Amino acid sequence: MTAAHAHFDEAQDALLASGDWHADAAPALPALGGKTVRILDGAGLTQLDTNGAWLLLNAARPQAGDPLPELRAFQPQHRAMLDLVVQHSAPTGVQPAPHREGMLALAGRGSLAMGGHVIGLIDFVGRLFLELMALIGRPSRWRWREFGAQLGTVFVGAIPIVIGMLFLLGVVFAYLLGSQAQQYGANIFVVDGLLLAILREISPVIVAVLVAGRSGAAITAQIGTMKVTEEIDAITTLGLSPLAVLVIPRVLALLVALPLLVFVGDIAGVLGGMLVTQEQLDISYPMFIDRVVDVLLLKTLLVGLGKAPVFAIFIALIACRMGLTVTRDARSVGTNTTSTVVQSLVAIIIINAIFAVMFVRLDI
Amino acid sequence: MTDTVIDVRDVSIALGGHSIHRGLSLSIKRGEVIALIGGSGSGKSVLLREIIGLMKPDAGHIDLLGQSVWDCTPDQMDALRRRFGVLFQDGALFSSLSVEDNVATPLFEHTRLPHALCRQLARLKLDMAGLDPDAVHKQPSQLSGGMRKRVALARALALDPELLFLDEPTSGLDPISARAFDVLIRLLADSLGLTVFLVTHDLDTLFSIIDRVIVLSEGRVLGSGTVAELKHIDDPWLRDYFAARAPEGVVHGN
Repeated sequence: MTAAHAHFDEAQDALLASGDWHADAAPALPALGGKTVRILDGAGLTQLDTNGAWLLLNAARPQAGDPLPELRAFQPQHRAMLDLVVQHSAPTGVQPAPHREGMLALAGRGSLAMGGHVIGLIDFVGRLFLELMALIGRPSRWRWREFGAQLGTVFVGAIPIVIGMLFLLGVVFAYLLGSQAQQYGANIFVVDGLLLAILREISPVIVAVLVAGRSGAAITAQIGTMKVTEEIDAITTLGLSPLAVLVIPRVLALLVALPLLVFVGDIAGVLGGMLVTQEQLDISYPMFIDRVVDVLLLKTLLVGLGKAPVFAIFIALIACRMGLTVTRDARSVGTNTTSTVVQSLVAIIIINAIFAVMFVRLDI
Repeated sequence: MTDTVIDVRDVSIALGGHSIHRGLSLSIKRGEVIALIGGSGSGKSVLLREIIGLMKPDAGHIDLLGQSVWDCTPDQMDALRRRFGVLFQDGALFSSLSVEDNVATPLFEHTRLPHALCRQLARLKLDMAGLDPDAVHKQPSQLSGGMRKRVALARALALDPELLFLDEPTSGLDPISARAFDVLIRLLADSLGLTVFLVTHDLDTLFSIIDRVIVLSEGRVLGSGTVAELKHIDDPWLRDYFAARAPEGVVHGN
């Protein structure tokens, strides 16, 4: 191994290279300062690979189209390497790198994509509806096994996390409410507030957010990967509909699972609150339960549970659609999965707001 | 220079309780173009993964370019990795990078050249691999199978390795592209003085560009030599293998 070296001989306009020339030899090139190299001398070269040859040539003629300098005293194998590189560094045909977009353009593109998602979702709902109509008369075509498997992962698998989250939220909410109510001696009303908040808002929204992050992302990643590995195409070629085989069981599974999970969340949240009210406000468990029985209206429970299937449908539709729109590369699975979660959260918040306004107007 | 570049001695490995290699040995000299063949499940890909340091054998030694692959410091292994290039079966292009950046990545990571210069060198490699210059800014997902292989080859050549490993280079290509790819590999091997080690099922590759074939069977090297020499080995699998090439002019039906 000899270090690469090159120097410019002003008298003959010659660039004399010696040593091992490879990619790391670039710093050995002398600064030419616009002088023309007429001769490239390789007498002292011990090794030359394509990267080294390109570096020498590039120094000798910065523009690929310029005439070649005279090549002097190269050993045959080094000369062959130079010829190979000359042959493959054609000046033409290489376009400039694509124009990079500014922030404004990216933001605009993002907004357009959001609009595109809305239209895409409507289109998807239409196709799914047609598929459902076709399936309705043929119970044998329903994929009950797939539905069961999905229900297992979406519902049973989510129970521990839902209980954990809602229990803690119940604790926090009861604390906050309790510290305010104590000042007015209105301890018992904490129970009323807790029930209203947990059952009507917190449990449905939080459970929907959890399911969107957990099951929605999983559905997109799974269907997306199936798309990448051409499984979806295989399903279509076998004369089956991907919508019937993959999408409808998942939509139904979420539709069933989400209200059940909200109910589990309701119980966990109220239990968390019950624990705190006993510790902080001296409301014993029997007192708490008596108060619940007195003030709990069926409609409070039903409003919360009723929102769940709507959230479920949106999460499932968004997740399945994003899975099916994956293109054939690994990055697309990632971006679509992220997009599923973001779209689902936005949908949950918007739908919840619509429900809130609607219920007030309808006096529910 | 006729030194040994790959030296595998008494390598054994068992996967999932199933013995794959039982005391396998082979050696390859500088400048050879070698093909490794063997039936499905004979451990060709496992051997390749052992040699390039992705899978550790249970026993035995593997020397690459005079250095042990499995008894060296991480720094030595990094230095060794610069000296060989690998073409994975499906190209294994980085899907988040453009074609040009895929090829420039080894240069970005292993040299201190400015990125603009790395990209120019990447274009040289892409041109040598026979890729259309229009494709340099495309994403890997926009390429056909043959183009992906060419980009992957250019990436394997980016650091001017002495040794090139190819895992089924012509699988998934149509016969025309496959033959063109064979010719390209031979041309590059000759002009760059590369040692090429390729795993293949493609009989046409064996007949056209290979100096020496190594046959793997039952965890050992069954034989090695030119195709003509191998035909003299009396082994049922090998006989069926060479007979599998459809004779020309066979008329189907009557």
